[in-house]
Amino acid sequence: MRRRPGIGGLQTAAAARDQYRLLGENVTKLRTDIMKEQLTTFRTQLEEFARKHKNDIRKNPAFRSQFHEMCAKVGVDPLASNKGFWAELLGIGDFYYELGVQIVDICLETRSENGGLINLQELCSRLRQRRKAARESVSEDDCLRAINKLKVLGGGYEVISVGKKKLVRSVPTELNKDHNEILELAQAQGYVTVEEVERQLSWSSGRVTDCLETLLKEGLAMIDDGHKDRKRRYWFPCVSSIHTSVGAEAVKS
Amino acid sequence: MQRLGDFKLPHFFNYPPYFTLQPIRETREKQVQLWKELILDYCRTQKIFVIGLEEEFPLFSNPVIERSLSHEAKEAFLSALVSEGRAEWMDRGHKRCLILWLRIQDWADCILRFAKDNGLEDTVMTVEEIRSGIESRGTELHGMDRTVLMRALKLLEQKGKVAIFKGASTDDEGVKFSL
Repeated sequence: MRRRPGIGGLQTAAAARDQYRLLGENVTKLRTDIMKEQLTTFRTQLEEFARKHKNDIRKNPAFRSQFHEMCAKVGVDPLASNKGFWAELLGIGDFYYELGVQIVDICLETRSENGGLINLQELCSRLRQRRKAARESVSEDDCLRAINKLKVLGGGYEVISVGKKKLVRSVPTELNKDHNEILELAQAQGYVTVEEVERQLSWSSGRVTDCLETLLKEGLAMIDDGHKDRKRRYWFPCVSSIHTSVGAEAVKS
Repeated sequence: MQRLGDFKLPHFFNYPPYFTLQPIRETREKQVQLWKELILDYCRTQKIFVIGLEEEFPLFSNPVIERSLSHEAKEAFLSALVSEGRAEWMDRGHKRCLILWLRIQDWADCILRFAKDNGLEDTVMTVEEIRSGIESRGTELHGMDRTVLMRALKLLEQKGKVAIFKGASTDDEGVKFSL
């Protein structure tokens, strides 16, 4: 194209730039509008879904857990705030706060028995017992979610995995790998002896006694010198509570 | 759940370590607390007033889990009750223990209520009658330990609610209510 010098040429170029900008703006606006519209639709759909399945969400733990999963995928946290429309719509925030309070209650109540470490299963069954009147069932998943929310409070509430079991910790005890291994071993019978630990984990007796002494001091273990074989047993109420083990040993022998 | 006659045993009764005195203070406190409640509950429902440490006592061993309390443990749990005024050693050697599931004061109140309910004001009864007479049947007083009853009556005497006197014709002591 032939160069067109002069004031006229510059003006034409400026006008063209304006035109392009205008067009660009229009396109962006259009896109934003579409996006907004899609978001609104999505939100209404989600709301509608939640409203429609409100009862299922509240009553059915499996459904609830799936709903949570779906929300997590699209980046919505129904528990993030108690004020949001989710809370109003479902009362779902309240549900977990209530659960949280009850969990704290149970943990405190049983602390002198188990040293602040409780089996998730036992926690759940105690929760259910306590909530009998509420009639909404509570799953382990719900418990885990509620505990997760408690973390914010900094009371040391945490879920730890020992072997196949999940334990809920309500005291800021540091459990190292050795302690965990002993707890895992204890899951079989509810107790361990020094010899058993030595044999099964191939530890020195010093290491075993040291570790067991710590667990004892933390209130996580109880000694039992009453067996016929005169060997001291270390029982762990957090893996086999006094409510679940009905003479585990006697049943076996 | 395990039972002893018509008595429902608590869960911890089947958890072996509760039969060994725990060395760690907090754990021991919980253990002692549970045993104290169990002993009082059991004695109340079974109307047991005296526990002999050297005799068989159904609470102190659990054949199901093959555990029983050592002498030291029994003494520790009962001593805890003694320190709360819910029990008393009957001898220096701590071989027999009097269990007060009702304190002497509460027993005294019981006697007064009994006297009022039965219109026994200004009436004379023998101690034995209070323990095993027709009037007391069905009340907490029926079959109560004589030592405990005498102690409660003495307390009432101090307060001027009853007068205790030795009968001329019988060996038993008489009680006159003056409410």
